[in-house]
Amino acid sequence: MTTYDDTRSIPSVPGQRGEGGPLPSDETTVIPAVTPGGPGEHARRPEDERFRPTGAGWLGRGAVWALIVWLVLAVPANQLSPFHVGVADIDVLSLAAIYAVGGLSLNVLLGYAGQISLGHQAFVGLGAFASAYIVTNLQLSFWLAVAVAAAFGALQATLLGLVSLRLTGLYFALVTLAYGTFAEETLFGIAAITGGEGGKPAARPLGFEDGYSYYYLCLGFLALVLWLDWRLTRTKGGRALAALRENPRVASSYGVNVKAYTLLAFAVSGLFAGIAGSLMAHHDEVIVGSSFDFRLALLFILMTVVGGLRDRVGVVIGSAFFALLEEKLLTQWVGDLFAAMQLDDFFGLLAELVSLDGVLADGLGIPAEFVGLIVGPILLLLTLTKYPGGIGQQVAPIRLWLTGNRFDRHAGTVSEVEVNDVRA
Amino acid sequence: MTWVAQLLTELGIAVVAGILQGSVYALVALGIVLVYRASGVFNFAQAEFGTVALFGSYAAVVLWGWSYPLGFLFGLAVALAMGLLTERLVVHPLRNASRVTVLVGTAGVALAAVGIQFWRFNETPIMTMPKIHDGFFRIPVIGASVTVQQLITLAVLAVASIALAVFFRSPWGLAVQAAQQEPVASELVGISVRRVSMITWGIAAVLGALAGILSGAYTTFSAGFLTFGGGRSLLPGFMAAVLAGMSSMKGAVLGGFAVGIVEQLGTLTVMSEVPGARALMLFTFLLAILLLKPQGLFVGRAATA
Repeated sequence: MTTYDDTRSIPSVPGQRGEGGPLPSDETTVIPAVTPGGPGEHARRPEDERFRPTGAGWLGRGAVWALIVWLVLAVPANQLSPFHVGVADIDVLSLAAIYAVGGLSLNVLLGYAGQISLGHQAFVGLGAFASAYIVTNLQLSFWLAVAVAAAFGALQATLLGLVSLRLTGLYFALVTLAYGTFAEETLFGIAAITGGEGGKPAARPLGFEDGYSYYYLCLGFLALVLWLDWRLTRTKGGRALAALRENPRVASSYGVNVKAYTLLAFAVSGLFAGIAGSLMAHHDEVIVGSSFDFRLALLFILMTVVGGLRDRVGVVIGSAFFALLEEKLLTQWVGDLFAAMQLDDFFGLLAELVSLDGVLADGLGIPAEFVGLIVGPILLLLTLTKYPGGIGQQVAPIRLWLTGNRFDRHAGTVSEVEVNDVRA
Repeated sequence: MTWVAQLLTELGIAVVAGILQGSVYALVALGIVLVYRASGVFNFAQAEFGTVALFGSYAAVVLWGWSYPLGFLFGLAVALAMGLLTERLVVHPLRNASRVTVLVGTAGVALAAVGIQFWRFNETPIMTMPKIHDGFFRIPVIGASVTVQQLITLAVLAVASIALAVFFRSPWGLAVQAAQQEPVASELVGISVRRVSMITWGIAAVLGALAGILSGAYTTFSAGFLTFGGGRSLLPGFMAAVLAGMSSMKGAVLGGFAVGIVEQLGTLTVMSEVPGARALMLFTFLLAILLLKPQGLFVGRAATA
């Protein structure tokens, strides 16, 4: 044992341990293990875990990091960038950040706890109206409103979670569907609180009135939610949830409190949804109950599943993708990019051929405003049947490379879009 | 005591209206139960089979000027094709996946169908489907107003349930039942489970299509009519199926009526102050059933139609 300072790096070889005795002696384990498969295989070899990029490697990674930071932080504010992001466009970018918070909220429920929610629009909507009520009617500060909206979201999600403890997954899906409709028509129809048909005004907080500063506010909350989500998965609660999802009975027999941790997932999901709702209310500045309809719930499911369940980065990218698609910004940008690239006839022709807008509008006859409606569900079905890891799986090699690992294009492969099955 | 008399009158009207609306829910529920028995799937695209059929018939009758019967058949054919494609492209590839995953898949099918409706019928966002018969009359004592179209739906429901009952006693129907109960053993005695799955999804799609084309004429319609539009019957259909314990065909019909009546209770004068009273009634009713009697009310004898 003394020859290896890190014993974890020795891969265990099945069939070699425990032969002849209850415990393998030191001599047998120290035998250098033969890596299964040939050199082409990306088996977990000891040196893999000690991989350190070279100086040039770090330089490349740093450059990509800088590019990402520049794209997310500098370009939207029109700093150091050749592009111009307009006032309407920055609102869409804020919405992308808000959707990402909502997507992460559903990810806690659908991904970590394996509970489907078809009523997530109600979670978000309740937070939105709570926040608008506090700011408009009670004249209190935005920061308090966000906290109360998050608390409201957590409370109602926990109440719904209590119901879920008594039902299997499929039946619970029906309850959430009914709850969503009930919230949309009954709760959001109470004119005294929600302002009825005319809508509820929700002013933006002091110092964040214009679109550009509000974008950074949304990014800040997204960072907070990402940090909370990361903490959730890295602590006892996250591991308990993973065990629960795999097999509640086994988890329970190991002493995991099934009820408490399921409720924890609901509470955290509701908390995130409340934050998303509050941000959405002040983003739109006037909210109406009918904007929190069943289609929003389906959109959240699209974002989370296509983004890749249990993959934080994938969910954020998926949410932003659908927000941009929904608001027609994506097709517009692609069109602009190709228009700017028309260097000569060849490239012009190529641009015509590749341009999303051109192909969809002329070839298939899909105008830009319907692209999201058609492309979203098709991506969902493709993710479910062919690419279960979603966007998260596609970007996993890049993500791992960026965090200082070897580039491995098979990283993050998922074989199935797996939601909890045991109770379903 | 006038308010008692008024309440009774309103209750009578609600029961009649509930049964008539419930026959739409029953048609949807029959499809849901059928698919659940065959594939163990909660089919969230069931109501969308109806909307797609409705759009198909509308296009044929109103836009292309076909005769009504031909347009009706075209609608059924479109829904049938959609049902078979769903089975082939989504349900079959996901046969080993978790059941919640398949649920998300069927919801994706519904969403895709809604997207295509929005896109293809963009110019006329609000449409009207012609009725088979325009007449309406008042039921003498109760005072409920009834349209002939609603009675036709009720009659179609009756015919469809009898046809299903007869079908399940025929050799084909017995093969379907056998494959649902014991897939492996059925395969061994020569029943093609894949074909049975296709047949079931086909029948379910046609049932949804009947609900869609007939109820679509009650009012104007738009994309997603039966899923979240004016004629929403996905949730009530599921509730009726839950009342039937997800297994009994007779229970699905009775459940449809029960859900229709409970929903209509939300239209009583007592509830007029409550916003969205119908949604409130449905939500509380569903919670009550699932928490108190999750095995269903109208289960009857297990299995058979």
